Amino acid sequence: MRNFILIIRRFFNLILFAGLEIICFILIAHSHTLQGDDIVSSANTVTGLIYKKHNDLLYYISLGKMNDSLMSENARLRQQIDAYRNSDTLKDMPVRRPLANTDTTVHVIKYADYVYHTARVINNSVNEVNNYITINRGSKDGLTKGMSVVSGNGLVGRIEHISGHYSSVLSIMSRKQPVSGRLKDGTFGSTVWDNEQPDMFIMKDMPQEAKIKKGDSVFTTSFSLFFPPDVLIGTVTRIDVNKKNGLQQLYLKPATNFRNLQYVYVISNAMAGERKDLEDSASKTK
Amino acid sequence: MMNAYYIKNIVRFFVLVLVQVFILNKITLHWFTEPAGSLFIPFIYPIFVLLLPFETPVWALLLSGFFMGLTVDAFMTTAGMHACATVLMAYLRTNVLNALMPRNLSEYSNQQPSVKNMGWSPFLVYSGFLLLIHHLTYFTLESWSLSSFSSLLLKICASFITSMLFIIVYVLLFTRQSASRN
Repeated sequence: MRNFILIIRRFFNLILFAGLEIICFILIAHSHTLQGDDIVSSANTVTGLIYKKHNDLLYYISLGKMNDSLMSENARLRQQIDAYRNSDTLKDMPVRRPLANTDTTVHVIKYADYVYHTARVINNSVNEVNNYITINRGSKDGLTKGMSVVSGNGLVGRIEHISGHYSSVLSIMSRKQPVSGRLKDGTFGSTVWDNEQPDMFIMKDMPQEAKIKKGDSVFTTSFSLFFPPDVLIGTVTRIDVNKKNGLQQLYLKPATNFRNLQYVYVISNAMAGERKDLEDSASKTK
Repeated sequence: MMNAYYIKNIVRFFVLVLVQVFILNKITLHWFTEPAGSLFIPFIYPIFVLLLPFETPVWALLLSGFFMGLTVDAFMTTAGMHACATVLMAYLRTNVLNALMPRNLSEYSNQQPSVKNMGWSPFLVYSGFLLLIHHLTYFTLESWSLSSFSSLLLKICASFITSMLFIIVYVLLFTRQSASRN
């Protein structure tokens, strides 16, 4: 017995070493089986907490990057929606195809082809007569003059000046830029901005028979060369009726909050040039 | 004096774990192992065992190595592999030091292995040998077979060189210069 204790004391280090290594091998062997992870997972309540704190920090730091990726995803989704909405289905009715249809390609005729670009607002004015917003995309990113700009909530404006990496957007809060708007029932009119009343658009001379309620939405029409159709401009907040001729005057609250605008989408219409040429030539022959 | 050593080593334990887990684990390298494409990460936590004071008894070395390895294991979910390698390294530490140091280890009281009291080449031999043992064990356990022996060897060499670089940087950064000045 004495000898046994002596041997243990003599080889204590070796025994401890062997014991620890055996524990390690048991742990490894457990982790290599299917139901193995139990032993490590008990420690993972602590490591999980530390990892979570670490991740929270990284998450906060990378919020900007995440925002950018969400923006580009939104742009892609909007583009897809528009691709479905703007195809001219009339021309592709199955009855109009020849019976012996050897041509299997689908001819979808589009009357508009919108491409969305994301951009960040780097300068913004709301107090002038004509308000401009500067964004961090320019001709190097494929933008041109006249492209329309929307935010996540509604219409913003259109590009008026452009440089290599920046462009300045004339916002719809500008006297020189009336936008044609359309109510739900199809009645349309011109919305103008009055800088005496900021944050308010006015739609004058709406016909008397149009039934308009407070809270109705006003969208863009497809008349404009610059603005895509069905983008929200604002909602009706007040209705004045002219006693003389019964025409209504609508006051709209813009859908976009111009005061804290951060990210916008620039929309280019690939078919705008063709349409513009046609309309120009038509007006010349008049 | 002894208490200061305890606190210093405990702080070093946590700092090394944090550095290993949150900085070095994000660095995935494939320098020399490019054709095989196997990734590896540099390890700096073994330096904890390397820098424990000279007269630390073997059982304390073994236990501290075991806990260090197990902590890293818990973060990396490599149950027991790091612990196994580190325990083996800690066990061999005393023998390597005895072979390298001119005097008996018990004569270096209140000192830890460092470039200052060992000199560069003995320190590099000491840390290099033990680190090689550690990497050899760890990567062999990780691959769990000797089937792709050449790529395993390549991985060990590449990882060893990278870890050695990190350890040299650590030693250069945290060697106290004030003692050598006066």
